[in-house]
Amino acid sequence: MTANDEDDISLAPPDSYAGQVLDAQLHLLDRQVLDTDGVPVTTVDDLEITDIPIDEPLRGTPAPTIINILTGATLGTRIFGGRPPSSRLTRIPYRDIKDIGVVVTLGVDAEVLDASWPERWVRDHIIAHIPGGHHDPE
Amino acid sequence: MKQLLAVALGVLTAIGGFLDIGDLVTSSVVGSRFGMALVWVIVLGVIGICVFAQMSGRVAAISGRATFEIIRERLGARMAVANLGASFLINLLTLTAEVGGVALALQLASSIEPTLWVPVAAFAVWLVIWRVKFSIMENVTGLLGLSLIVFAVAVFLLHPDWASLTGQAMSPSVPATETGATYWYYAIALFGSAMTPYEVFFFSSGGVEEKWTKKDLGQSRVNVLVGFPLGGILSIAIAACATIVLLPQGIQVTSLSQVALPVSEAGGKLAVAFVIVGMVAATFGATLETTLSSGYTIAQFFGWSWGKFRRPIKAARFHLVMILCLLFAIGVLATGADPVMITEYSVVFSAIALPLTYLPILLVANDKQYMGDEVNGRATNAVALAFLVIIVVASLAAIPLMIITGAGA
Repeated sequence: MTANDEDDISLAPPDSYAGQVLDAQLHLLDRQVLDTDGVPVTTVDDLEITDIPIDEPLRGTPAPTIINILTGATLGTRIFGGRPPSSRLTRIPYRDIKDIGVVVTLGVDAEVLDASWPERWVRDHIIAHIPGGHHDPE
Repeated sequence: MKQLLAVALGVLTAIGGFLDIGDLVTSSVVGSRFGMALVWVIVLGVIGICVFAQMSGRVAAISGRATFEIIRERLGARMAVANLGASFLINLLTLTAEVGGVALALQLASSIEPTLWVPVAAFAVWLVIWRVKFSIMENVTGLLGLSLIVFAVAVFLLHPDWASLTGQAMSPSVPATETGATYWYYAIALFGSAMTPYEVFFFSSGGVEEKWTKKDLGQSRVNVLVGFPLGGILSIAIAACATIVLLPQGIQVTSLSQVALPVSEAGGKLAVAFVIVGMVAATFGATLETTLSSGYTIAQFFGWSWGKFRRPIKAARFHLVMILCLLFAIGVLATGADPVMITEYSVVFSAIALPLTYLPILLVANDKQYMGDEVNGRATNAVALAFLVIIVVASLAAIPLMIITGAGA
């Protein structure tokens, strides 16, 4: 690798740091995701970031941004290696996030998210058919 | 006055809920083979569980987060999935042993085959999890479990040679009939039974279930620091009973009826009635705790909705996991597998898995982001680190000793 190539590795910094600086690995990955009512939705299994253009010098290219939280099949590939096809990714748009603290809180109801379909499936096909499941425990 | 009652209730349920099938069987086996020579391990285990249960309760109260959520956040997905796999399987083994324990205890009362009791017991456990409120569930099984105090009463009724009993406990030595390897194998088993990992999952998740806050910390500390040692004394009493009655006659503990035998010799039918109620309550309570723990670990790892404070339809996958685990236990026990054998293996495997649970808790209890000013003090950390060394040594030594001794044969 030449000195010139090394220079190419560095991306242009973002225009400004608005607010809190987060380390994706430390503050986002594997954090619990809650919906707007505080109901657990999933864990941050992975993050989807914008692509960097191929075959173009990196210098001057804008830094990638996070667009989606990923969940579902992506956990298996993150642990055991490989990469699921884009069509198999379950996404939660990053703009749905309301707050990032010890947990990631969304501003939307879990019911509207694709990410919670397994929960809905188990509920509607199994748990809802067992008597007593609709009541608070006594 | 009301506050005093709440404290008393908490302590009493902690005592009554301390023992499970692992403690009942292992204490009795150890007493019948080694006399009081391993009592020091019970003392050590109780101190350890006090330190770490108190710590995980504090983490739950301050951060509002349960153990397994934090394990994944701190260790990352890859390490956490290995941890989850091991913890979950061992918990499943313990769960199976506990269901078998309920069946064995009910057999004592009814002389109906334990295999026939298994589905009934598992269904009852599921029904309680499905419908009964967390606090009621804990209090009822805990209070009924107090009947096991009859073991302590029996020790006095048996008029033992106190000097010899305390002598064995104070200056432990390996009996002539046993080898050093079996002695240490059972030391690890006993340690595993006292410090079972599920108690930590359960304790921290229970703190979240009951919505503990900083205010409840005092109460939880009293429960642990008073309740657990008193529960440990019951464990020692069971070992003492076995030492007095079973050891001289060379009786092997192969079922709960041998565990109860010294009590029936000391106090007759009435005492046995207490033992049976206590054993059913203790094993039933522990089945509830292990079943919930299996749901807690999986749901917390994947970030699913969990908890008994929600309606079952609001935590569908959590409830499905627990149903499947109970069905698994029924399946294993239906093959006629011996619950006492399963118990003996489960406590040793628990010992092997101990570092997986206790190390992350120690890390988080020192993390300012979760704990703020309530991070561990120096004294707690020193004790916890010392225990971590013991835990790791026990964990590493368990499998070699299991092979050398042929699982303690």
